[in-house]
Amino acid sequence: MTQPALRFNARHGFPSGFTLDIEFAADDGVTALFGPSGSGKTTTLNILAGVLAPQRAKIALGDRVLVDTTTHVALPAEQRRIGIVFQNQRLFPHLSVEQNLRYGARRRPARDVDFARVVEILELREFLARTPESLSGGQQQRIALGRAVLRGPELLLLDEPLTGLDSRLKHRISDYLDQLIFEFKIPTLLVSHDQADVRRLAQQIVILDAGRVVAAGPTRPTLDQAILGGQTPAPAPLNLVRIEHLSVVGRHIEGRIGDQCFYLPKSAIVSEQTAFARFSPSDVTLSRSPIAGISIRNQLRGSVAEIVSKNDSAFVRIELGGQSIWAEITPEAIATLELTVGAPAVCLIKATAAEIV
Amino acid sequence: MLSAEDWQAVALSLQVAMAAVIVSFPLGLGLAWLLARKRFPGKFAVETIVALPLVLPPVVTGYLLLVLFGGNGWIGHWLRRWLGVEIIFTWKAAALASAVMAFPLMVRSIRSAIEMVDPRLEQAARTLGAGPLDAFFTITLPLARRGVVAGCVLAFARSIGEFGATIMIAGNIPGDTRTIPLAIYSELDSPGGAERSTGLVVASIAIAVLAMVVSEALNRGRDSRKIAANRSSNA
Repeated sequence: MTQPALRFNARHGFPSGFTLDIEFAADDGVTALFGPSGSGKTTTLNILAGVLAPQRAKIALGDRVLVDTTTHVALPAEQRRIGIVFQNQRLFPHLSVEQNLRYGARRRPARDVDFARVVEILELREFLARTPESLSGGQQQRIALGRAVLRGPELLLLDEPLTGLDSRLKHRISDYLDQLIFEFKIPTLLVSHDQADVRRLAQQIVILDAGRVVAAGPTRPTLDQAILGGQTPAPAPLNLVRIEHLSVVGRHIEGRIGDQCFYLPKSAIVSEQTAFARFSPSDVTLSRSPIAGISIRNQLRGSVAEIVSKNDSAFVRIELGGQSIWAEITPEAIATLELTVGAPAVCLIKATAAEIV
Repeated sequence: MLSAEDWQAVALSLQVAMAAVIVSFPLGLGLAWLLARKRFPGKFAVETIVALPLVLPPVVTGYLLLVLFGGNGWIGHWLRRWLGVEIIFTWKAAALASAVMAFPLMVRSIRSAIEMVDPRLEQAARTLGAGPLDAFFTITLPLARRGVVAGCVLAFARSIGEFGATIMIAGNIPGDTRTIPLAIYSELDSPGGAERSTGLVVASIAIAVLAMVVSEALNRGRDSRKIAANRSSNA
């Protein structure tokens, strides 16, 4: 398929005065629809789901036109082949877990998805005979996910799938998502206001604000630039780094970023070999060389890739092992340290500042 | 305790009430859904007309039905000419009167049950490939079943007790249109009728209680099965 999976172009005005006017494309893989509340995420989702009829729109999924207001085409929801995982799951309370999962699969799915395999990936076998009400929030979220995937959709729409889950569950649901999307190769649109979720799951991003697209492109650079350019209300780019080979050593957890060691407090939950650590740029201190005789254990060597000033702060991006870490420091410190692009630098991060997600 | 005539009245009452509920149910269900889920011009007028039999004197409702369904009435004339069906002064008229009188109760109960069902569940069903009717029958109706069953039982009970409109368009013909209330009324009109009507009074109470027990059992049956299923899979 040469054309993008989803082409979306819609304009819709509300009596309140809010107008949505956005255009974007989403390809295979995960595309995030990111923005604060009131930016138009929910309206976009409702238009895609067929709940809201836009005043002017042209929406195509692959080579199928879903909505075209110029030719008065508007496919009903059941013919769009978009699997949606809603924010509050919307499981059918009168049906068993298995009946919920099979609801879409029974109704001429767009393509066949192996029921047993989905149940296996989501670890739902033991719950099949139960009713959704008797299960926890995380389990319900897995059922909603399985139900949408078993519909065999051409596009998977996830509405804030990790919001409201604790960090342990977030981690697990993210893993389930990764596996499903990877195995069944479903183009996915992730609606979220959470930087960590977006950075963790999406390769591409479309940033919305006040009903407009303010930026679109590869997640990390696009999001960093939009935040530092003040195009989206987040105060600072969040650091989310991938830590591998995690293991518990004594009273802390040790992992690796590239060939360097990263320490985390033991309170963090580690169920997998790989996890993501999040911390704020203000928790990162920079020095020109490693420092001995200091309590900070994480000292990561890298090189300066970018320096951006925002308000009264300077944000310095350090590249190491193919990943990026932002440090927020004062402009004076940049002069003192003689930091320039390409210069070596060491990121000092307190182990307790990092949180596993 | 019940004479042959009494049994006739009981059987006729059951037949009339059943017919009234069965015939009005599809219309009541459709109208309840329309009122619960849709906004349309003239909605208030429809609501008012549906509720009218509840507030009008039954005799007036009966009179209006007589005008519509009588041999020279709009509908009565048409029915006789094209279908050869005579309504007035037959058991069908009693069923018609019962259906009209009980209709507001049925619609009100089903409507509020449908309103209690989260429309977002129907949306979810639609995104999973269910058409509007499919979503209604697999999601909305099962979730609203308590109110739907209650509405039917209420309509059934109301039909068993229907008197005013029935006597206007069906008359009081023993074995043909004399239902329990009409039979009791006729007995009391003659000497010694109070004792003779005792059996019918008891029969009315028994039917009402039975109707409630049946509706309760219908609801409980489903729920306890569900609970049992959860218990067994927990073990």
